[in-house]
Amino acid sequence: MAHIVVPLDQPSNYKDSQSKVDRQKHTDLLAKSTTLYIGNLSFYTTEEQIYEIFSKCASSEDGGGIKRIIMGLDRNTRTPCGFCFVEYYTHAEALASMRYVSGTKLDERIIRCDLDLGYKEGRQFGRGKSGGQVRDEHRQDYDPGRGGWGAQAQRLEMERRREVEERYADAQDGAGAVAGGGDDWKDNSGSGVTDSKKRARSPDDDGEGRMGQRVRIDEDIEAERM
Amino acid sequence: MSYNQNRPYRGGRRRNRDDWDNNRRDAVESPEQRLKSAILKFGEVDAVEELPGLVKQIHAESTVVLPSSISEAFRIGVTEQPYKIPYYVALLRSLYDPSDVEGPPGAPPLARQILEDFWKGFQAYLDKLSWRDTRLCIHFFAHLTVAGIISADSMFGLLQSFTAVLDEFGVSHGRAKQAALCAAEGLMIAGQVLKQTSSSKVTDIMTAIQTYNDTTMTSRWIVLPLVHLHSTESNFHNVDELLDSLFLALKALDDSDFTENNYTYPQSYASFPALDSAEHPQFDLPSVLVPPEVIELDGLTNDDGEDVQVQKQEWPEYYIRLFDDEISPSPKTPLGYATRSTIVDVVDIFEVNRKECARLLLELPKWTSPGVFKPRPGAPAAEDPTPGPNWQLESSIIEVILGSLLVLPESSHKSLYYFGLITELCKLSPPTVGPAVGKSIRKLYTNLAEGLDVDVARRFAEWFAVHMSNFGFQWVWKEWIPDLSLDLQHPRRTYMRRAIEFEIRLAYHERIHKTLPPEMQDPASLTISEQPPGPNFEYDEAGTSLHNDPLVLVSLMLIPYADHVHHDAAQSVLNLLRGRAKPDDVIAELETLKSSLETSDTEHVDSVVRSIVVQSLLHIGARSFSHLLNAIERYLPLLRHIASAGVSSTGGSGNAEAKTDILTAAATFWRQNGQLVGIVFDKLMQYQIVDPTDVITWTFANGGAVSDRNQHSSKYMSMYEWDLVKGALDKANGRVMIARRKVTALRKEDDETRARANARVGETMEVDADGKADELPISENPQLTAALKAFATLTREQKAALSCTLEGFVGALTNPDQRVQVQQVVSAAEWETRETWNSEQWSAWETWGWYRNFCRMYSPYLRNYSTTLYTISLSRFEGSSDPVEQLLHKTWNIAMGVE
Repeated sequence: MAHIVVPLDQPSNYKDSQSKVDRQKHTDLLAKSTTLYIGNLSFYTTEEQIYEIFSKCASSEDGGGIKRIIMGLDRNTRTPCGFCFVEYYTHAEALASMRYVSGTKLDERIIRCDLDLGYKEGRQFGRGKSGGQVRDEHRQDYDPGRGGWGAQAQRLEMERRREVEERYADAQDGAGAVAGGGDDWKDNSGSGVTDSKKRARSPDDDGEGRMGQRVRIDEDIEAERM
Repeated sequence: MSYNQNRPYRGGRRRNRDDWDNNRRDAVESPEQRLKSAILKFGEVDAVEELPGLVKQIHAESTVVLPSSISEAFRIGVTEQPYKIPYYVALLRSLYDPSDVEGPPGAPPLARQILEDFWKGFQAYLDKLSWRDTRLCIHFFAHLTVAGIISADSMFGLLQSFTAVLDEFGVSHGRAKQAALCAAEGLMIAGQVLKQTSSSKVTDIMTAIQTYNDTTMTSRWIVLPLVHLHSTESNFHNVDELLDSLFLALKALDDSDFTENNYTYPQSYASFPALDSAEHPQFDLPSVLVPPEVIELDGLTNDDGEDVQVQKQEWPEYYIRLFDDEISPSPKTPLGYATRSTIVDVVDIFEVNRKECARLLLELPKWTSPGVFKPRPGAPAAEDPTPGPNWQLESSIIEVILGSLLVLPESSHKSLYYFGLITELCKLSPPTVGPAVGKSIRKLYTNLAEGLDVDVARRFAEWFAVHMSNFGFQWVWKEWIPDLSLDLQHPRRTYMRRAIEFEIRLAYHERIHKTLPPEMQDPASLTISEQPPGPNFEYDEAGTSLHNDPLVLVSLMLIPYADHVHHDAAQSVLNLLRGRAKPDDVIAELETLKSSLETSDTEHVDSVVRSIVVQSLLHIGARSFSHLLNAIERYLPLLRHIASAGVSSTGGSGNAEAKTDILTAAATFWRQNGQLVGIVFDKLMQYQIVDPTDVITWTFANGGAVSDRNQHSSKYMSMYEWDLVKGALDKANGRVMIARRKVTALRKEDDETRARANARVGETMEVDADGKADELPISENPQLTAALKAFATLTREQKAALSCTLEGFVGALTNPDQRVQVQQVVSAAEWETRETWNSEQWSAWETWGWYRNFCRMYSPYLRNYSTTLYTISLSRFEGSSDPVEQLLHKTWNIAMGVE
């Protein structure tokens, strides 16, 4: 359906540059994806703000909901660096976010959503040289929401910043660093207490620089801002 | 250092991207694509100018492009660009005119081939019961009837197949509504020609629609966006029911013998001469039958043998009007109906791309008759104002979008779509859309005091917050300052608090605080808290600062505030959790803690221990949603231990009292933050520490008492409690949905395996005397058995959750402590004096609202268990003359479709 316009929930040319899957596999996986990559976040935006807007695309009555949010962190400082992953229980919810959330403002910035192959260990960290995202390495503009907040910072902003800095000071890497969000309902009766399961992880996934395409798209989004 | 060294991955990236780019589709268009695209873009610049060229192109390309491809383009054009339908009729009409291109000898004219193929496409839409596509094709046929290309008799036949649906026994409202729209809109467009042919058939169609519409009267009360609890009156002047409007518009056209048609539905083909009937006989539409609705029965029932298939209920559709008839179209007039339904269709069709949708909506005047919409400011002024209603485009669009958003029980798309669409409209044309949005907000705000439904008010607050978050939170709050003198629970006061709370969730406390005037910032106004809605670790001295906050003070008077006597005990647990001690070690520590508390005259030792554990766990998880998940996952064994009241390894459902304590502790910890209470409860259910029924029971028993959002301790339901109950109900229903899908998938898999196996057996085995191959014995598939067992458990839980909610509402509305208020607010005389109502009365009124919302929203689920639920909770009120019991009873019966 929709021959007249291009639906907003089509996968864009965004991809994880470290992903080793081929194009066909990539397309197939995205057609079932329940995870979104969210870009152009303010460094100060909290998971709860993200939860609030993305929960409006959730369909709990259909077995969905927000499974987990993985905040993108600066590799060195362990502070948010402007991206995150939102994982739902169903694909339809991810598509709804593409249609209704992508391109709207959160914390007064236009955010961007892309279907993602799914979180893998290590992807929560920035891949730029200095620890943050690659796009912030070469960025020329002054962006108060993304670390461009100099000495003139107001007391309030400093306070928010301090909170944010403390928040993830305990962030870990390695297996089990990120919670799973809870599986679908399981029958526990009679089977005794089962231990929490660790998710299967890909051992060879180690993050490196996010690629040039990304920067280009982000610039397009910047241009859209009013 | 060279550039390349700086960016070591450059080469890799380049190569990587090229791989992907090379796979891109070739950009050269085939003649077929070129022609289709020309047809779809027809009229974008100037339809009249483009027409001869496009006709020529179609004739020329028809030697290489099949008529079916051309007709497909017509079909897409008609069903996805309904505003262009009259132009497509003009295009098809022009294709009848002689051209230089000769078709194959003996073949029917190209236009006729296209029409014949178009019909096949229509039939396919109808077979799928793709209602909007079906209806828009009927628009096309109706215009073709006016143009003399389709015979009036066959058009009547088509419309009659749809009115026949209205007479079906037990027809669902959704199906009847769609069929009525098809028949009536077809008649409205082609009425002029049809009435000349047979005025009695026109009357028949209208009678059928009216007769059906009369049967929907009793069910209307439950979906009225403005409600009077004391009466079933459904004629509010600013709400319009869809079928009512449809009928009134149709009747107005009929009364004028459809002479206004050319203006209501532009007839861009009107100037063409009639076809020569000898050369081109009229096309007779074949007769059709509207296929029955297909309900896939999977035969799954619950333990009690109740059928648990969920069938979405459709109700009469009410739209709120926000502007006067001079500003925006009234759906009760022919032109108003036509204009609004075009907007509705565009909003619906372009749901996949809200940005394009917004652009197309603002371009609508291009397709409507002149004078329908007022020319844009700054447009070249016509010498005389064009005659016509001259409605305001932006107000009309916003009114229809908000009307669709606020339809009860649910809008057809997610709320966020409508929010986003309005945002895009504002971005495209801030000076014209902005004021329309502002006026709509004020109008809805005014309605809050007139009985605006609680769920409508909730959606309104949600839209307000999301909208403001896209436009710098700029709202002129000061115009609502006078309302601060209203009672705290007056719908306008609750609206302000909710809107502010929703804004804070999307931003942060300080950001919103500074947008408010001092009168609202004033803590005494109880509009926004002084502090950000942070956590409250009961056993921490830091909590004392809260005592300065009046919002909190109110609740402190209502709940016993712990005096930190357990500070040391809590610290010991907290330190263990902070140090990431093993769950077993924490459990062991709890035993020590318990015995020491027992020696210190502490009452309810178990409850205290649970509260300490849960609050400590939430404390280490308070930094973010992820921290919460990590804390819960790390200490699942601990949570299970306390949820089962220390009787470990039993698994299953745990101990009710213990789970109540867990929920109380969580709600206490986050009592300033409704969002977090919802999130924690959701994940406690997700990790199966508590069940949906636990949450529902807890909310009805304790919700108001713990939260800071609520200003009362009594057992009324506010939005805050409703959100928790809804979260639990949706969880219970969602689990059944997942379990059902699993069973269906496994059965299918099973059937296929067996079919394959049987096929193999059939090949190798002898056919016995009965001519029947020996079937393989049906082996039990353990996965399927488990899935069926899970399904049974989950439907039981679903039924319990629904029952629990119904009982909760009945309990709240018949609670002797609040009986007086509950009864007062359903009386007509009291309603008239509502300006003097106190908080208790407004809370009672709101509780009624959520009960009504529960019944209509969950009726698809409730209907599966209606007999049992009715017997348990409501049968005792049968025949009662008490107004409260009568209303409880009546609301339920309407929702169940038995009244």
